[in-house]
Amino acid sequence: MVLIDHDADTSIAATRLEREARSAMSYAGPKIRDVTGEFDAAAKQLPPGRLVKDEYFTLFEAVGALEIMDPKMDSGFVPEDDTAEPEFDVCRGLLPTEVLWIMDQLLGLLIGWHDGYPLSQTVFTSLHVDRLLSPDNRRPYNLHFGSSVSTGVSDTEQVIHLVLRAYCLALVKSCALVLHTIQLQNFYEEEDFVTHLFGRELLHGLSAEDALGSIGEAMNWLPTSDIQKDVRDALSARLDFIWTYVSLLTNDLNDWHDLTDVLDTIKATHHLAPPIPEAFSDKVQRQLASSTPPRPMMQVSWDLACQKWREMCEDTVAAGRLTTEDICQSPQSLQRAIWAFAYRDPPPNTYARAYLQTILFGAERLGENTSFFDLLLVDIRDLVLAGDPLANPDNFLIEVPSDPRHQSARIMEVFMDKVFDEYMNFFRMVCQNRCRIRRTFTQSIGVLDSLEAVAVQTDADLDAITPMRNGDVLLCPMTCWVRYQKLQIMIWTIQLGIETDVYLPHELSLMYWLLSWILERKLSLITHSEVFLVWRMSEANGMRDTRVVAECLSSQDYLRSLRTQVEAERSLSIALWQLFTVLTAVKAIKPLKQDYARELLLYEARMKSYLGLTQDPIPPLSEYKAARSALGSVQEVCGTTTAMTKQAKSHLAELKKMTPHQARYVGTEEQFKREVKQMETTCVAIAVQTSQLLRLSVHQAEMGSATSEEKLGIEATVPAPGSRYHDWWVVPQIKSTK
Amino acid sequence: MSGINQDVATNAPSQDNEQVTGDVKIHYITYGSEKESSWLPAIRQLISKDLSEPYSIYVYRYFLYQWGDLCFMALDDQDNLVGVIVCKLEPHRGGPMRGYIAMLATRSGYRGRGIATELVRMAVDKMIAKDADEIALETEVDNIPSLRIYENLGFLRTKRLHRYYLNGNTAFRLILYLKPGIPYKVTYPPEYPYPEGDGSTPHQQGPLDEDLIQRQAAQLDIQDIHDQRFNLIARSDDFT
Ligand SMILES: CC(C)(COP(=O)(O)OP(=O)(O)OC[C@H]1O[C@@H](n2cnc3c(N)ncnc32)[C@H](O)[C@@H]1OP(=O)(O)O)[C@@H](O)C(=O)NCCC(=O)NCCS
Repeated sequence: MVLIDHDADTSIAATRLEREARSAMSYAGPKIRDVTGEFDAAAKQLPPGRLVKDEYFTLFEAVGALEIMDPKMDSGFVPEDDTAEPEFDVCRGLLPTEVLWIMDQLLGLLIGWHDGYPLSQTVFTSLHVDRLLSPDNRRPYNLHFGSSVSTGVSDTEQVIHLVLRAYCLALVKSCALVLHTIQLQNFYEEEDFVTHLFGRELLHGLSAEDALGSIGEAMNWLPTSDIQKDVRDALSARLDFIWTYVSLLTNDLNDWHDLTDVLDTIKATHHLAPPIPEAFSDKVQRQLASSTPPRPMMQVSWDLACQKWREMCEDTVAAGRLTTEDICQSPQSLQRAIWAFAYRDPPPNTYARAYLQTILFGAERLGENTSFFDLLLVDIRDLVLAGDPLANPDNFLIEVPSDPRHQSARIMEVFMDKVFDEYMNFFRMVCQNRCRIRRTFTQSIGVLDSLEAVAVQTDADLDAITPMRNGDVLLCPMTCWVRYQKLQIMIWTIQLGIETDVYLPHELSLMYWLLSWILERKLSLITHSEVFLVWRMSEANGMRDTRVVAECLSSQDYLRSLRTQVEAERSLSIALWQLFTVLTAVKAIKPLKQDYARELLLYEARMKSYLGLTQDPIPPLSEYKAARSALGSVQEVCGTTTAMTKQAKSHLAELKKMTPHQARYVGTEEQFKREVKQMETTCVAIAVQTSQLLRLSVHQAEMGSATSEEKLGIEATVPAPGSRYHDWWVVPQIKSTK
Repeated sequence: MSGINQDVATNAPSQDNEQVTGDVKIHYITYGSEKESSWLPAIRQLISKDLSEPYSIYVYRYFLYQWGDLCFMALDDQDNLVGVIVCKLEPHRGGPMRGYIAMLATRSGYRGRGIATELVRMAVDKMIAKDADEIALETEVDNIPSLRIYENLGFLRTKRLHRYYLNGNTAFRLILYLKPGIPYKVTYPPEYPYPEGDGSTPHQQGPLDEDLIQRQAAQLDIQDIHDQRFNLIARSDDFT
């Protein structure tokens, strides 16, 4: 509400605080005074629309303001023909089949909450849950609390007060457990999940064990009742479901398949349940603390709800499978595994992603004996220091200060401490939603750039202790490693931009050009590393240290796999940047008018995340323009494109031959194969479209219909994300408009 | 201007869905600096048609009272409101002068005639005249007409914002730079109520972007009221 204050000056904020403090203190004895008259009189002194606000009144407050008695904004508004409170007696006995329906409805609402709907539109709309959560209700949390109705002993009453109540208690406790897990990890409020409790507590006085105890009682009672067997079994299956779910959340059980098994039983008996929609109402929102306008209860589709439950179970199982000891020992395999998890289709929900984060970051160590610090060291060693004593973990244990190994290890350690958080983010950020992965990686680029500057100094310090040169060339291991990571993150931001449709078709030429530029830099880093590795191996062979030799050979395989992959990607990006450039040039991709845009400013806007780099800055616009104008005719470009796709294919063929250990895709063999296959298909598609372009341009030139290259009568469309062979590699569809 | 328009807006909503054909003479005016013009009810009605949830009167006043000169209206020859754009202009986190297009709507029967495009042009021109460095806005990823308008004028998509709107829809943030060197301008984070500490903000030096801030906000587990909840524009039902 806008403050109307006539002595409006800078002391408004102070006055407000004082007033709020006073009203808070006098809370014990509220004195109610009708201010309508005073308010009216004061308001009349202002012209309509006069906004009286202090500087703390922001857009946020404006958006949060409600208009009293507007039915779309005021959740307390009661239409004339309606009642304020739902007219449903939660203590009333119900048919066991009706209880079945309520349970299933709750199951649907619960997964809706997992899916991002607030509790106020899901679980809290259950009048039974609402009664249990009533602020005055206390342990043991009965439904008949506060009402004069006493509980009877008939089956229809027991099924409410024993069975449904136990189910609701456990379900509410499950929400508390889920919240706990999610809130300990990274997630984005509202966009991933809504944690808001609307002023309610989730059965504060009751533990999950207590809730499970109630389930047990209900289970025991069921066989003694006169409820028809099929219905009794169905009720029991639902109790079993919620029991299993809570036990999984408390880690008393750990195989989420147990839950899918029960789900199948539940699905089979859902038809027994006749709807009783009056047991739910969005009128509960009137009692909830919230500044959001009234919102309708989520509509549950039973089949969809079951499917989502199944997906959540499978995602959770996958999270376990992708973090086995084997995988966690290799930083690169683990990274691939986390990406594989993020790219499950449909994407795992917030709980499943928090579950994965808990496995990864919940404890000091990953599994038995690996820490992220160890992973970082392995990562550095594998890329730039295999066979070098510098990366030998034993060095870190030497305590003689005069020992150069000790000195180097300390320098390394200091550096690794500095990069550690950002390194963890490579793993953690991939557990976020897709849009956030791109945006947080975009942030990472600047951080890595400053770390690269730190690395330059670290390398100088290390070199002063033990020179690492091959002839005149310095190894600069830390600089190489950081730069490599930075380039990789830059690549991902571009690829994710393509995947999330951030670039328009006419921008793809520039983006694939930049991508090929980055891949080129990445390739030269790999080459640099390979040269040093060979040099080191020639020395290590002399020493005949088998551990060192093995380490070198393994790194050599890894570097070869990186080279092969980067070469394939580079060929693809060259093919695509040239193809898109020529398609834009012949107006097959329609340029936009962009009246207010200036070329340089567009470049700055597009390159914002990469512009600030001080180490190895990206090329200026002029370089792109020069490259663009250096491209030859349509025919020549088609020639390059064809050659590049051929190259890409042969690199992919080579990559396929590498084992999971060599190329570090342990645990994600299937995904690796699938991705290579998608890239191969992309190659084929580019080749097909290229020959189509060639055919059309030659044909139209012969027909004389093309007055200039600018008007070939060709149209190229860009398939939307989701309908591409690979979402990162866009193949334009070329056809004739004549 | 006149009280008639207010009545038209409230009394004749049924005409709204009929496609108006043939030549229509449209003229454009500024909301101006009058503190509350008689156009407000009509503006409100036009915009709320396309929203799944209404804005309170304060949201309109927030913009119109402070930036009435950046609000433009399209009127037909009987002075009925058929299109409107609502904007603001202020420094973005102590950095660039950022124009922001908060609302844009054309009455449905009048769409596809370039009205919205003209309104955006007028707003952009005015912002340029007021020395804006950049202009930003958000729009739903599947609001094709809206994306077309802005992209045709030179706006670029810079971010995809997952489930940005209250109805769960995802948005693009679009940006148009009006001056060179904007990415190099330093911005400062909004003042979050950091739970503990000395009041200084835990950031690296150098330019800050809202993502970094949001990431830190998320890690601190505080609600990101400054950016996340500005779910302002066009929770449009038309294109979902
Ligand atoms: C978006 C909106 C303001 C456009 O108004 P308008 O006056 O019709 O816009 P214009 O006529 O200036 O331009 C619309 C553009 O979209 C295109 N367009 C219009 N309707 C379209 C449709 N149904 N499908 C595809 N494109 C369409 C037009 O061809 C034009 O593009 P062009 O210049 O390349 O030809 C209007 O549709 C509206 O009020 N929508 C609801 C509110 C909203 O979404 N606001 C925008 C949020 S910031």
